[in-house]
Amino acid sequence: MSADSTAQSTPPPVVQVRDMDFSYGASKALFDINLKVEYHRVTALIGPSGCGKSTLLRCINRMNDRVPSARVTKGEVLVKGKNIHDADVDLTQLRKQVGMVFQKSNPFPKSIYENVAYGLRIHGEKNKSVLDEAVERSLSHAALWEELKDRLHANALALSGGQQQRLCIARAIATVPDVLLMDEPCSALDPISTLKIEELMHQLAKEFTVVIVTHNMQQAVRVSDYTAFLHLGKLVEFAPTEELFTNPREKLTESYLRGTFS
Amino acid sequence: MNSLPTPSRPPLRSVLLRSRKHTILGVDPQKLIKYFFGSNASVAIIVLVLIMVFLLREGIDFLPTYQRELQTYRRAGLEFCDIIDQPLQRNQALSSSLRQAVSASLETLSKPARDRRDAAFLLKRQVEDKTARPRESLTQALEKTPPAPEQIEVFRRELAEASAAAAKALEYPAVFSAAEREQLQREFSALTPEVTDLPPLVQKLVADFSAKDREARTKFAALVTAQEEFEEATEPLQEVVDELKAKALETKEKAVEFEVLETNRKRLLEAAATETDPKEKASLTKEAEESVSEAVDLEESIKEITGRTAELREQVEKYAVVIEKAAADLPKDAGTGAARTLVNDVREGIPVHAREMRAAAGKLEGWRWDKPVSIFSVIGAFFFGTQWITNSSWQDFFGFVPLLTGSLVIAAIAILIATPVSVVAAIYTNQFASEREKEMIKPVIEFIQAIPSVVLGFIGISLVGNLIKDVSEWSWLQWVPGFPIQERLNMFNAGCLLAFMAVPTMFSLSEDALNNVPRAYIDASDALGATKLQTVFRVIVPAGISGILSAILLGLGRVVGETMVVLLVAGNRIAIPDFSAGPGVIFHPAHTLTGIIAQELGEVSRGSSHWQALFMVGIVLFAISLLVNWCARAVARRFEPHKA
Ligand SMILES: Nc1ncnc2c1ncn2[C@@H]1O[C@H](COP(=O)(O)OP(=O)(O)OP(=O)(O)O)[C@@H](O)[C@H]1O
Ligand SMILES: [Mg+2]
Repeated sequence: MSADSTAQSTPPPVVQVRDMDFSYGASKALFDINLKVEYHRVTALIGPSGCGKSTLLRCINRMNDRVPSARVTKGEVLVKGKNIHDADVDLTQLRKQVGMVFQKSNPFPKSIYENVAYGLRIHGEKNKSVLDEAVERSLSHAALWEELKDRLHANALALSGGQQQRLCIARAIATVPDVLLMDEPCSALDPISTLKIEELMHQLAKEFTVVIVTHNMQQAVRVSDYTAFLHLGKLVEFAPTEELFTNPREKLTESYLRGTFS
Repeated sequence: MNSLPTPSRPPLRSVLLRSRKHTILGVDPQKLIKYFFGSNASVAIIVLVLIMVFLLREGIDFLPTYQRELQTYRRAGLEFCDIIDQPLQRNQALSSSLRQAVSASLETLSKPARDRRDAAFLLKRQVEDKTARPRESLTQALEKTPPAPEQIEVFRRELAEASAAAAKALEYPAVFSAAEREQLQREFSALTPEVTDLPPLVQKLVADFSAKDREARTKFAALVTAQEEFEEATEPLQEVVDELKAKALETKEKAVEFEVLETNRKRLLEAAATETDPKEKASLTKEAEESVSEAVDLEESIKEITGRTAELREQVEKYAVVIEKAAADLPKDAGTGAARTLVNDVREGIPVHAREMRAAAGKLEGWRWDKPVSIFSVIGAFFFGTQWITNSSWQDFFGFVPLLTGSLVIAAIAILIATPVSVVAAIYTNQFASEREKEMIKPVIEFIQAIPSVVLGFIGISLVGNLIKDVSEWSWLQWVPGFPIQERLNMFNAGCLLAFMAVPTMFSLSEDALNNVPRAYIDASDALGATKLQTVFRVIVPAGISGILSAILLGLGRVVGETMVVLLVAGNRIAIPDFSAGPGVIFHPAHTLTGIIAQELGEVSRGSSHWQALFMVGIVLFAISLLVNWCARAVARRFEPHKA
């Protein structure tokens, strides 16, 4: 975090959102967003419901493309320095580099093994040993290998909710993305499973860059290095987590954190 | 609030009473509504049970009835005759092959001569037709007494003119040389009613043909004699069999008549027993006493048949020896390639046939007229019987297999065609089509369901049949097994139309199944960078596969139960399709379970064994439908993890 001082020597941020406006058809959802996500850091997006956290997150892997008439109307999004809206960007490659985990766990109705291998398979990997190796590595990263190594070919839907969500994380990281987007990954889980995933987050940050949307302020404090606070589609404040929580610069942030928010 | 005085609240008793006011005929309306819905649901179940009971009541008697019939079939000796007569049927096929081979061979030599003769006959007929009127007048004038010579002369001239004109106008085919044409024209111009002999040139043509035919017969003498030997070999055996058959049939008819009168008498006596009016009672008893006939002594009459076993065996043996000799005498070569194949087939077929005949003769001794027909053999005769023969003067057989095979083959064709079409259409509509396309495709496909099946049958007869036949004659498609096809109305035609009928069901249900695949799976796949096609084929279709399979099964149920189209289009030949034709068998006609009921039920007399047999078919059909539907549900449940 202290690396900020020498701007010249720092690598470019892995994700950079510049002056971005985003709208769903006629209704504007995001206004003039500026955000830099650093390598191997966890960045949390917080804010009241409907403020545009998910929308912003989905801008990073262009998941919003699937909503007809939704588009970035101003500004740009760069991933590893490349504007993801450029004509020569291959969506498949972008999503290989920017993985995503959803609020509700959504493993495919296939075996555990096939779930994890899915990403590699669709990117053309056929070699059994490569797949085996990737499955083991990803499950280990998601702290599932020990639990599941004996029943890799069991149906993924037979797992518990927490296991399913970790399996989804394993599936997302199997293709070794640079960025992992997580949209309230723990909101449907019990406290123990939540704890496990939070622990996992620290491990994941060593290899990946994580952007997480959360409603749980404590969770943001526990897992993230940076926090962005959004309100009504505007990015109100973006700062290192400690700073934002202990010493918010903006009045709005402060009242939101205190819970005296109207 | 607590401090307020209580009297403002109504007493507990009145609260309870008030609720009792809202009743209809003393029943709580809530309950009435529940009963209403419940009863509607149970009506469906009750109707289903009633259908089952009704089918069973009509059909279940079939087994004892059929048992009785088969018993008579055995006791009267029909079965005994069939032991020899059934394998003997093969003789006809062999003999017709041989005849074809002989005529094809003879034609190689005699065809030109015959064509010339036939052409001349044809021309002569044409002239005669054209000059029919003057000829008629002349004939009448000639027959008149006393003859009127002037009139005859006039008519004669008229006829000569007409004949000359007709003979001139004829188109003489190229088989005749110029000189011959001239001569023919001359001869035809001179035709008169008095001369019955053929004109000289025509006579010569006839003689030419006879000479050629004789020549051909000497050239293929071996083949011709072998064929004649083979034909003649049958006669003595057939004679004996026919005698025995006549005897057996006579016995059977007597036995049946006796049985009918006997049941009638019993019924009358029963009625008399319950009758109270003494007058009526007396008349009923009298009637019953009249309804008697002589009981047939089956044992006696069967002896007449079995008594000739030795003779029959001897005849079979003779027959076998003669045909084997004929087979050995068959020449290696024949006039044409086709004839050669026919001859070869016959040469191989005859020893097999002879062996079968000898084996059949061997069975004669072991046959017992009084061996009871067990109910299991009756069940076997129905479910595994290969013959469905009704209204026969010999014996009715109710074998289920020909109908079942027809139904199954047609259903298989229909499903094989309909499955890819409807599943692909469902995938396209659900995943790739734009909203506007969806709005077009769905109603159009669902509209197919509204087409009356009789209209489809009509299309099958008038359009699809011809289309298939024409296509099957295209020379570059001759590698397709079964092409060119013989019959316009066949199983493939019916299968195509049934496929068309099954598409709406299968399409709609498959589309629903795809629609039910959770959105979250698609999100996950998209987020991993899958292309649309990858998502569709690796996630959506596998997740919806249970629904798709159950859609296919329900389509199958629809296809098996469909009647009108198969009745009109399947060709209705009651025989097991000839599977030796390979995949080309689909172009053969067949009959079906549904078709046979629709076709025959209206014509049979109520309560007869035929009637009951049709109900048995109905029961089996019902069972098949239930089974298919049950499978569809089981499949839907089995592969549906995401709903668990
Ligand atoms: N597919 C869509 N079409 C149109 N408007 C949308 C769509 N998705 C979201 N919005 C709108 O965009 C705004 C931001 O929504 P978004 O889902 O990003 O909020 P959020 O911060 O993630 O809320 P929450 O915390 O409840 O998940 C909301 O006003 C929402 O109504
Ligand atoms: Mg959200």
